[in-house]
Amino acid sequence: MSKIMAQAYSTRATQDLPKISKEICNALIKDLEEAKRPVLYATKCSLDNALYDHRIGFLKPGDKKVATELNVSSVKKMSRAIFLLEVLLKNVDTGGVNTKRELYYMAKGRIKNDSSLKPLDFADQDESDAIIDFICEMLECYREDLNCYANDRGGQTYSQQLIVTETLVDGDKAVIDLSKLGTTSFQPKNRPQNLKLSASKKIDFCLIVESEGTANTLVANGFTKRHNCILMGAQGVPSNAVRAWCKTIQDQLSVPMYFFGDLDAYTLQNIYRTLKAGSAASLIRNSDYSAPDVKFLGVLPEDIKKYDLLDYPVKENDAQEVRALKKAQDALKNDPFFQDKRNKELAKILGWLLTNKRRCEQQSFFSVNPNDPQTPEKIIVEKIKRGVYV
Amino acid sequence: MAQNKITTSSTAEYFSKNLQQVGFSSPTKAVLTTLKEAVDNSLDACEEHGILPEIEVEIEKKGAGSLKGSDQIRIKVVDNGPGIDADDVTKVYGEYLASSKFGRGKCSRGQQGIGISAATTWAQLTNAAGARVITKTKNMRKALSCIVEVDIKNNKGVIKSKETIDWDRPNGTSVEFIIDGRLQMNGEAGLYSYLNGTTLVNPHLTLHYTVPESEKVTVERVSTVIPEIPAAVEPHPHTMKLGEFIAHSHLFGRVKVNSWLKKSFSRVHEGTLKDLVSAGIKNSLLEKNVDALNEADFKQLFMAIQNIQLMAPSTKSVLMIGEEALSKSINRLGKVDFFSVVTRKPTICDFKPVEVEVAIARLDEKAMENDSPIQVLRFANRVPLQFDKAACAIVQAIQTVNWRSYGLAQPKESLPLGPYIMAISVVSPFIKFKNASKETIDASDELVEEIRRALIQAGQRLSRHIRREDKANELEEKIRHIEQFGPILVEALCRITNAPDSRKKRAEEGLLKLLGREARDAELALKHAETSLDQHLVKTGAKSDDKSLEEPAQDEEGESSPVPGKKSKSTTSKSAPKPKEKSSAAPSKKPKIILPNAKQAKK
Repeated sequence: MSKIMAQAYSTRATQDLPKISKEICNALIKDLEEAKRPVLYATKCSLDNALYDHRIGFLKPGDKKVATELNVSSVKKMSRAIFLLEVLLKNVDTGGVNTKRELYYMAKGRIKNDSSLKPLDFADQDESDAIIDFICEMLECYREDLNCYANDRGGQTYSQQLIVTETLVDGDKAVIDLSKLGTTSFQPKNRPQNLKLSASKKIDFCLIVESEGTANTLVANGFTKRHNCILMGAQGVPSNAVRAWCKTIQDQLSVPMYFFGDLDAYTLQNIYRTLKAGSAASLIRNSDYSAPDVKFLGVLPEDIKKYDLLDYPVKENDAQEVRALKKAQDALKNDPFFQDKRNKELAKILGWLLTNKRRCEQQSFFSVNPNDPQTPEKIIVEKIKRGVYV
Repeated sequence: MAQNKITTSSTAEYFSKNLQQVGFSSPTKAVLTTLKEAVDNSLDACEEHGILPEIEVEIEKKGAGSLKGSDQIRIKVVDNGPGIDADDVTKVYGEYLASSKFGRGKCSRGQQGIGISAATTWAQLTNAAGARVITKTKNMRKALSCIVEVDIKNNKGVIKSKETIDWDRPNGTSVEFIIDGRLQMNGEAGLYSYLNGTTLVNPHLTLHYTVPESEKVTVERVSTVIPEIPAAVEPHPHTMKLGEFIAHSHLFGRVKVNSWLKKSFSRVHEGTLKDLVSAGIKNSLLEKNVDALNEADFKQLFMAIQNIQLMAPSTKSVLMIGEEALSKSINRLGKVDFFSVVTRKPTICDFKPVEVEVAIARLDEKAMENDSPIQVLRFANRVPLQFDKAACAIVQAIQTVNWRSYGLAQPKESLPLGPYIMAISVVSPFIKFKNASKETIDASDELVEEIRRALIQAGQRLSRHIRREDKANELEEKIRHIEQFGPILVEALCRITNAPDSRKKRAEEGLLKLLGREARDAELALKHAETSLDQHLVKTGAKSDDKSLEEPAQDEEGESSPVPGKKSKSTTSKSAPKPKEKSSAAPSKKPKIILPNAKQAKK
């Protein structure tokens, strides 16, 4: 039995991917010529293979691999993987860029025009997405390395001090001074690692707000005018763009970063944890898509009491909320991030949510003094000043 | 205040105002109930007189009915039964609670003598005319033709248009109703479901039927054995109430108590009498005459007998269809892929003898309905039950079985899914129905458990067929995968690596070798499953020498038809081929599996 592993190539540069792919394919053919059963190994991207070390600050993959042995049952998956790999390699070769959905249609188009490929046909995008993920796990690369980009979602950024310098494909440089954009925000790209950041004046902090709407309200009420800061809307679960953008800000500007969102299990696990330490599904990408310095500003359980915030019980019939609580219970037992003693304050919040089965939204700050639209801003700034965050 | 006058009304008056209680609650039910009552009477009469039943059913839509939204339907049932004596015709069709079967503890279809009189009443109420009857016994030279109506005020049958006519049969009865109703042909509450069900549990019945928009259909009998309805056994004291106990004593006149107890009850013998004495009953009481006992004596005796241990009631009084007859009959339902039947030993549930039989068949013609719930055919004393299935003991028992372990899809606590027919027959002289229209069997824990056990046994037998089929599908799938994906994979690999044709050829051969091995393993697994199934069929006696059970015959149009008991759409009746051995579970065909690349794979 032959083992074809991409792990050995994990230190490779992006431009090596076509070469590595060819080597894997060559090894596959060699095994087949000898009637040996080839096995493809991919990094196991799940919580049971996630390791957390506070010194690096994000979830990284363990040693577990998913082995796909060529047999009658897996021949379909393997054929699809090699078929899509060929499409992706062609993109890399020609500089073509696509989203997963576009790749799905490209694959469908090829199959439509070649009847011999009909057995490979994808019933829906989920099927082709799974194969793309499998290829990335096999090559231990980001899909962006294979020119497959996600939508630029979330991360709208406002600042009176931040200046972004972008190096374009042709080598030209574009300088974006965010203070000159008026009410328009700056939208980070999916691979913001090649952006150069600088500040026209010292930036005191970066605030990432879970709700895009609330971020816009804060800006409209003059938050960025009154404070030397970067204010960003995460728009729910952070996209790759948002995650990498936070990482870029953290690495290049070294400013304190705070996350302001709802107090519930979903926000804490799916949004904040992903932003700070990555996710189990993206183990191989977390090193470039996590900002471990981001603190959880709230809403904290003690804020409810202190500011007399309006909270409400978790709805027993809301499947998503119930699922999040169940997941929280599981996280306290199995998630290395919440198990790490340096994150015990965050684990405590999860425990509080499980015990009290209550939740409080970020917008509840607007209930403190409805006559003063600046109240949420005042509370946020007060919390930062007094160090009331986790 | 003046007191309201208290009046009494006749039984017929009561039922005429409450026909919904006896199966006439909707136009659709009215048609089925009328048909069912007439067919039940015919089958019961034939069986009692040792006649192989041959019944003709005609159903016709004549026009608009008098009730809003209903049609005028003609229902005619003609049998070759013993006929009815002229004096009894009015009692049978025009008088409520006039029955030869009431309370006698036998497993006949009809019991109380309500149903057919209710049908006459419905015809009278909706069409102003009762039942048109023609009947002839062997002793009659000419047949009696008349119209019978119910005298509702007096619960008496009234005869009209009486005449004697020549009839082309030596004996039999024809009854015709013209009623308001609505025809529902398909679905579990449909006419076809009733007709199929009736033929399934009556293997000895030849049925001819003509329904709207269809030619005459003949379903031949597959058994010439007339079911012998076992004689009733004496009542068991533990199944009685005090009032029944006292009433029972009146049937025996002047006999001593000890003799009355021993002779008129089952499971009471000399030892029981000793136990009664030990329990405090004085010998002098046992020596008294029954008619000399007062209420206190009866109560003392009754309570003592309830507290002593008696053998469970006898199960001799129940009737079974039998696995052999069911196996033959099930092929009359349509094109059957495979089936399994189970006849449980008679048992006691809730102190009543009960016989449960199950037949499960997969129908080829329903192969497309994989996501629909199975079709359930319920029977009580061999009469199809078609309404109010949710609360029925049979449906509840089906839902408690984990059918997934036998290879059927099943949502949680629901009926399983797929193109299957599940027929469950409960036979007992004392079936506990939930309502007077006898549509739902009361779901007592003991009965549900007994039905559940029968279903589990049938499921186990069925699973061997399904397992074999799964293995065959697995093999087919593997072969398909090898053929489809092998070349695509190698082609793409070679394109990416720019490999020469010689490498491509070697890789293709290597891949075929690899995957061919697996296909052969799957082939072996299939053979193993087939052997296991064959052994099971031989062991249970289900493997028939008659090839027609295993291989569907080709009809003239090249379509395969189930044999024996092929459903023929012709006016002529065909005698069905008879399988030589009894069959408890048999496949009707085996899918052909060809391993196209077997030669290459063996290289």
